[in-house]
Amino acid sequence: MIELQGLTKRYGETRVVDDISLTVEQGEFCVLIGPSGCGKSTTLKMINRLIAHSEGKILLGGEDITTLPPERLRRRIGYAIQSIGLFPHWRVADNIATVPRLLKWPASRIAERVDELLALFQLDDEGLHDKYPHQLSGGQAQRVGVARALAADPDVLLMDEPFGAVDPLTRDTLQAELARVHRQTGKTIVFVTHDMDEALRLASRVALLNAGQLVQYDRPAELLVAPANDFVRDFIGRADLGLKLLSRRRVEAYCRPAQRTRNNAIASAPITWQVDADDRPMALLGGRLGESDIARTVVNTEWTATPEMSMKEALSRMVWFRVTALPVLDGEGRLLGEVTMSGVMGHRS
Amino acid sequence: MNVGALSRPPSSRRALLISLSALLIALVVGMEQLAPLFRALFPDQDPAMYQRESFLDLTLAHLALVLVSSLISVSVGVAAGLFVTRPAGREFEPLVSTLAAIGQTFPPAAVLAIVVPVAGFGFVPTLVALVLYGLLPVVQNTVAGLGTVPSQMLEAARGNGMNAWQILWHIELPLAMRVIIAGVRVSVIINIGTATIGSTVGAKTLGTPIIAGLVGNNLPYVIQGAVLVGLLAIVTDLAFERLEQRFSFGDSRAAS
Ligand SMILES: Nc1ncnc2c1ncn2[C@@H]1O[C@H](COP(=O)(O)OP(=O)(O)O)[C@@H](O)[C@H]1O
Ligand SMILES: [Mg+2]
Repeated sequence: MIELQGLTKRYGETRVVDDISLTVEQGEFCVLIGPSGCGKSTTLKMINRLIAHSEGKILLGGEDITTLPPERLRRRIGYAIQSIGLFPHWRVADNIATVPRLLKWPASRIAERVDELLALFQLDDEGLHDKYPHQLSGGQAQRVGVARALAADPDVLLMDEPFGAVDPLTRDTLQAELARVHRQTGKTIVFVTHDMDEALRLASRVALLNAGQLVQYDRPAELLVAPANDFVRDFIGRADLGLKLLSRRRVEAYCRPAQRTRNNAIASAPITWQVDADDRPMALLGGRLGESDIARTVVNTEWTATPEMSMKEALSRMVWFRVTALPVLDGEGRLLGEVTMSGVMGHRS
Repeated sequence: MNVGALSRPPSSRRALLISLSALLIALVVGMEQLAPLFRALFPDQDPAMYQRESFLDLTLAHLALVLVSSLISVSVGVAAGLFVTRPAGREFEPLVSTLAAIGQTFPPAAVLAIVVPVAGFGFVPTLVALVLYGLLPVVQNTVAGLGTVPSQMLEAARGNGMNAWQILWHIELPLAMRVIIAGVRVSVIINIGTATIGSTVGAKTLGTPIIAGLVGNNLPYVIQGAVLVGLLAIVTDLAFERLEQRFSFGDSRAAS
C-alpha cells in the first residue's frame, strides 16, 4: 500500500507537484495520467526517491520512505522505463538479474529467478537469455525492462511510460501481457502514461493530474460516467466518452438469451438464430437493417462475439457488417446468447 | 558480467597488425643485417649504420618513456575527467579543460627548456613534457565518453538501487570505455612521436639516431630511427583500434 499525503515538489517558487494526497491499495493498478508536464513523472520518482519531495509524506506499507537509505528503498521497489533503460553491455539475463545481484542473492537462486521471469514474459523459448539489448525487438526489450523491475519480487512496481516508444500493435500485446502479469502476481503498480486508452485499459484506479494537482482519483468507469469537471471530460475526449465507456465493458454484461430454431422458418421473435444439432449458430433470421424481416443471413465467424470481447468491438462489428445482433459464442462455437444494437443502451450490472 | 567482443575489425586489419608487428620486431633486432643495403644506397656515408647503441636498447628505452608517461597521463587524465563529471567537481570542469588544453598548446621544446634547468637532463624532463602533452586527449575523451551515457540509462541504474560507485563501475565506465580508449590512443601516439625530441636533452630514445643524423649530416641514421618510430606508432595505433572495438556494444549511442 502506498500513501501520498500532501505531497508537494517545489522547484524555486513553482510547485510542479502540488499537495497531492491519495492512497494506492495493495494489488491496485494505479495509473497517473494528465497532460505533458503536469507532474506525473515527478510524482512517480518521489515514491522511490529519485526525486526528493519538498513537503508532505510518502508511506510505503505504513512506513515513511525517508526512514530507509534510498538504495535499500529502491531495491524493494521495481522501476521500469522505456527500453533505453536496459544496459547495452549486459546480456538479457544480466539485465534481469540487476537487483538480485545488488541484493547478493546466491547465483543459483538468481539463475532460477531469471528463468522464471523469462517464462512469465514468454521470452524463454526465443533463446534471448544470452542476447544483448540491441539484438532485441522493441517489444522484447520492453518485456525485459519489466522483467528486470520484477526480478527481486518487489511488492510495488513503478512504471514511467514504459510502452511509450513501441508501435501500436506491440503496445497492445504488451498491455495485455502486463494486465495478465498484474493478475498473476497481485503486485501494486503505479503506472504513468498520457494515453487515455492505455489508462482505461489497464487501470483499476486512475489519478488524473493537471498542473501538479490531483483533479480526480477514481475507478475508470466512474471517471467516465461521473467526470469531476470539464477538464476531465475534455481530457477523456468528450466525443468519445460513450465509446470509451463501451471499451471498458465486456459483452458478457450485455449478453441475453437468444431465440433458437432448428429450421429456417421464421419464429415469433424478431431475431432468431438457426442452430445446428450442436447448438452452433448457422444463420440469423431477421435482424438486418433496411431489409425485410424475413432476411436470412449466414453466420460468419467475423460477426460473432465472445463473452470477453469489449462492447466497443462488438458494436463496431455490428456497424461494419450491418447487422443488429451478434451471436455470443463459447470456446466451442456454441451459442451462449446474443448482443443487440438496442441492447447496447442498457446493460445489466 | 561479460563485456563481449561483439563486432570485430575486418580480418585484413588483423593481418596488417600481425605483419607490421613482425616487421617491427625484425627491424629492431636485425637492423644491423641491413648494413650492406645502407652502404649500397649511401656509398658516401661512413658509417652508414648507427651503432653507438643497439636499436633494441633504444626501442626499449623509448617504450619505457612512453609507457611511464602514458601511465601518468592516463591516471591523472581519467581521474580529472571523472572528478569534473561528478556532482562535487562539476564546477571545476572549465578550469581542468583549460589547464589540459594549455598543456598541449605548449610546444614540447619549450617545456623541455623550462624543465631542464629544474630537473636536469635526460629522462625526467622528457617525461614531464610527455605527460603534459598527453593529458588533454585523455581528459577530453573521458569527459566526452561519460557524457555519451544516456541520462535515462543512469536513471534506470539509480532506480534499480545502484549506488554512485556501482553506477560508475558497472555502467558509466564500461560504456564510456571506447571513447576513453580512443583518447588514450591519441595520447600514446602523440607521445611516441614526441618522445624523439627527448634526445635533444639527453634522454635515450629512438630519436637519438635521428638527432645524431641531423647534427652529423648522416641521412641513414635519420632513416633508421624514423622508420622504427613510424612503425612503432602504426603498430600501436592498430593495436588500440582492436582494443576499442572490444568496447562497442552495438547500441545506438553516438560514436565519436
Ligand atoms: N529539475 C527541474 N527543475 C525545474 N523544473 C522541473 C525540473 N524537472 C521537471 N520540472 C518541471 O516540472 C514539471 C513536471 O515535470 P514531469 O513530472 O516530468 O511532467 P510529466 O507529467 O510530463 O511527467 C514540468 O513542467 C517540468 O518542466
Ligand atoms: Mg514524464
